[in-house]
Amino acid sequence: MQMPEPDADIIARRDSIVATLKTMLPATSVVDSAEGRRAYDADGLSAYRQLPLVVVLPETVEQVAAIMKYCHHEGIKIVPRGSGTSLSGGALPLADAVLMAMGKFNRILDIDYDNRCVVTQPGVTNLAITQAVESKGFYYAPDPSSQIACSVGGNVAENSGGVHCLKYGLTTNNLMGVEMVTIEGEILRLGGKHLDAGDYDLLGVMTGSEGLLGVVTEVTLRILQSPATRRAVLVGFDETAAAASAVGDIIAAGIIPAGMEMMDSLAINAAEDFVNAGYPRQASALLIIELDGPEIEVNALIDRVADLVNTAGASSLKISETEEERERFWAGRKAAFPAVGRISPDYLCMDGTIPRRALPDMMIRIASLSQQYGLRVANVFHAGDGNLHPLILFDANQPDELKRAEDFGADILRACVEMGGVLTGEHGVGVEKRDLMPIQFSEDDLKQQQRLKCAFDADHLLNPGKVFPQLHRCAELGRLHVHHGKMPFPELPRF
Amino acid sequence: MTPQHPQHLDDVLSLIKDAMADGAALAIVGHGSKSDWGYPVAEARPVVLDRLSGVIDYQPEELILTVRAGTAMTEINKALAKQNQMLGFEPPDLGELYGANNPSSNKGSIGGVLATNLSGSRRLTAGAARDFLLGFEAASGRGERFRSGGKVVKNVTGYDLSKLICGSFGTLAIMDEITLKTLPKPEATKSLIFPADDLAAAGKHIAAILATPHEPSAAAILPADMAAKAGYDMAKMLVVIRLEGFAISVNARADALLALYAGGDEIDDKASQSLWQLITNTVLLADSQGDIWKVSCPATAAPAIIQGLKDILPKDLPLRYYADWAGGLLWLDLPSQVTPADVAYGARLRQILADHGGGFAQLIRDSNITRQYLPAFQPLADAQFGLHKRIKAAFDPMRVLNPGRMHHDI
Repeated sequence: MQMPEPDADIIARRDSIVATLKTMLPATSVVDSAEGRRAYDADGLSAYRQLPLVVVLPETVEQVAAIMKYCHHEGIKIVPRGSGTSLSGGALPLADAVLMAMGKFNRILDIDYDNRCVVTQPGVTNLAITQAVESKGFYYAPDPSSQIACSVGGNVAENSGGVHCLKYGLTTNNLMGVEMVTIEGEILRLGGKHLDAGDYDLLGVMTGSEGLLGVVTEVTLRILQSPATRRAVLVGFDETAAAASAVGDIIAAGIIPAGMEMMDSLAINAAEDFVNAGYPRQASALLIIELDGPEIEVNALIDRVADLVNTAGASSLKISETEEERERFWAGRKAAFPAVGRISPDYLCMDGTIPRRALPDMMIRIASLSQQYGLRVANVFHAGDGNLHPLILFDANQPDELKRAEDFGADILRACVEMGGVLTGEHGVGVEKRDLMPIQFSEDDLKQQQRLKCAFDADHLLNPGKVFPQLHRCAELGRLHVHHGKMPFPELPRF
Repeated sequence: MTPQHPQHLDDVLSLIKDAMADGAALAIVGHGSKSDWGYPVAEARPVVLDRLSGVIDYQPEELILTVRAGTAMTEINKALAKQNQMLGFEPPDLGELYGANNPSSNKGSIGGVLATNLSGSRRLTAGAARDFLLGFEAASGRGERFRSGGKVVKNVTGYDLSKLICGSFGTLAIMDEITLKTLPKPEATKSLIFPADDLAAAGKHIAAILATPHEPSAAAILPADMAAKAGYDMAKMLVVIRLEGFAISVNARADALLALYAGGDEIDDKASQSLWQLITNTVLLADSQGDIWKVSCPATAAPAIIQGLKDILPKDLPLRYYADWAGGLLWLDLPSQVTPADVAYGARLRQILADHGGGFAQLIRDSNITRQYLPAFQPLADAQFGLHKRIKAAFDPMRVLNPGRMHHDI
């Protein structure tokens, strides 16, 4: 992965940059030793490592604004970081960039049950939001698998999802407002405790912008009343195609499950070996379907779901009768990644989305690619929304296996786009999928996205080298071709 | 000038390029049903998008609908109804509200609904129009074709331009192909009405109901005059709660709420549907002689906003209003401005809003007098406005697309 050439001039000025940052922050909030910086040299995409120029740990919005203003003025790049759990390298440091870690923004500021929202600092973990409101029967719906560690600021940057997206949406659908700092050091408030804005939806644009548009310093999240009941069905299928059509049948019947997960044979057996969840080892596909809501509704619908999966050709079926049993159904799915980690020294987790009807074809494609590359793959899907997580097994100690695994992954993502889907459903583009963007988007599509970037950060100082395969200068992106060579309004700014 | 009716995105691109070359602007409408919302685009070439029409692809079991942006809402609703599905954000039909000023008013196009980010009563629980646009293809004000998003329900690839386009009133791009997320239509609907002493008590009652696991899909507050107009003349303010879903569940939840809170009453499916149409489609205020304001505020701020307005209104002029979204959406009927010195009500409204947690007050219908003195869209702070101008320039550097429809300079 080629990162932008570090600016030798900035690196040469490192000592004076560090000294200046120490005038803006307490000395302990500027990490400049090599061993101190080492703790920040990677995020969840740990195949890529880089020591940052320096790490800053601000704790007030004024400090963030001062650092941004200084860096903007001096032309120094900034990489924002939440808890560093990104799976796509969104928080990968750059040798010539200040790494701004938001971990000290760790307080929940306001729990407002009457307006059903929580105002929090961005370094608070996703799970801590639910923990703060569960005594009153509320919860925060998006639940990425890293929820015990990942920060809500990072969730905003990545538009994080989870297993309950089909029914409850991603971060963007559960976010009411942010306070953010622009690269110029301006503090903006977008949204708030009200539902709709009446201007351009900058909140929507910030969500999922992967740290390229600004740094979030406060977040307002919508909380929901917890459902009265949750029950799950565990269904085995001999044929993957039957499992896929069962998923479509359930939705066609007007039922939107809270979660609908699929695992293939290798994933089923790895999970079973690890946690003994009682999964059917013979099945070639397993579905976990969870319904939530009022008890009478869940009980009625779970029977309808059972009928539908039986009609679709289920080979085994279990319905959770107790909360313990429901949690056991989930235990294997939740342990799927570490379970695969036990059977292979390393694995790459992919994250494309396809139209659900393409699932059987995709399974065949992945199997043939697996043969072609000589690498095993375990498949875990958020089946309800067509979001695939193929886990490609490899051994980084073998020469060329990482490269082969990456090429295999890229081929899977190419197939996703070819089948009408997209490169990433919830992990983000980051550095991992950056160079694949032209598969999904034309040159003009990407240029238009970068023009939006230019409106926020005309010098490309925020998190450069992420998301876009090619950095165009904003002046170049602003050039216009006008018919007949006429260029009216020469006084208008163009960028 | 004769309106242009482009049939293909290429036609749209040509119109934009010609306008760029001539230094002209385009006044863009879908079907024109909401053309009185925002400012008229001065001295512009009219472009009507009604021929960018038709359903392209509909996969009900994928919850995906791809249509062209100029498709009539009536046609979309018909296609969805056949598959027992709907648009979750319950797009309102403002035909009654704009009908008097706009004889050509109709139910509008999906493009117009998205351009105004217009959402109905279910927005409280299901999300806004912007939450249901998954992707699109459009022409930018640079005369270039571009795509964003995708045709799947879960996607974080690249910036989410779908959000930006929704609510931009045609000032950034002209959409053609759009992909929406659909939802199953509820099997049953039932509404409950509860009397309330005042707005604060009504808001508290709704907050309490939303803190139960009985999952209302919508919650509105009708002051006594509005309730009477809707056919519920009980000389009391009413809280209206809607329950939707599978019949067995709706019945059980209705019974549970009626047992929890005394004084409630049940409205059957048919009456419930017509009541919510009056609420969502703002029919209750359509006959107003004054200005209509749409206010998005924190639900708990509603009583202070209403009280603040009552304090400055002449005593003989009762404030007509009602609230949706649990109190977070206020529809207000305020006296029209007559003189420049007379901008008190709208300005006061925005001040009270700022003092109570922020939000947006939009003047959405007036007699074209008030908006000359008071911005129809809420003015933005400097840094925000600067960013808006730069975003406008990023998509439409020569200000060809609907210049001035929202804000001066946008």
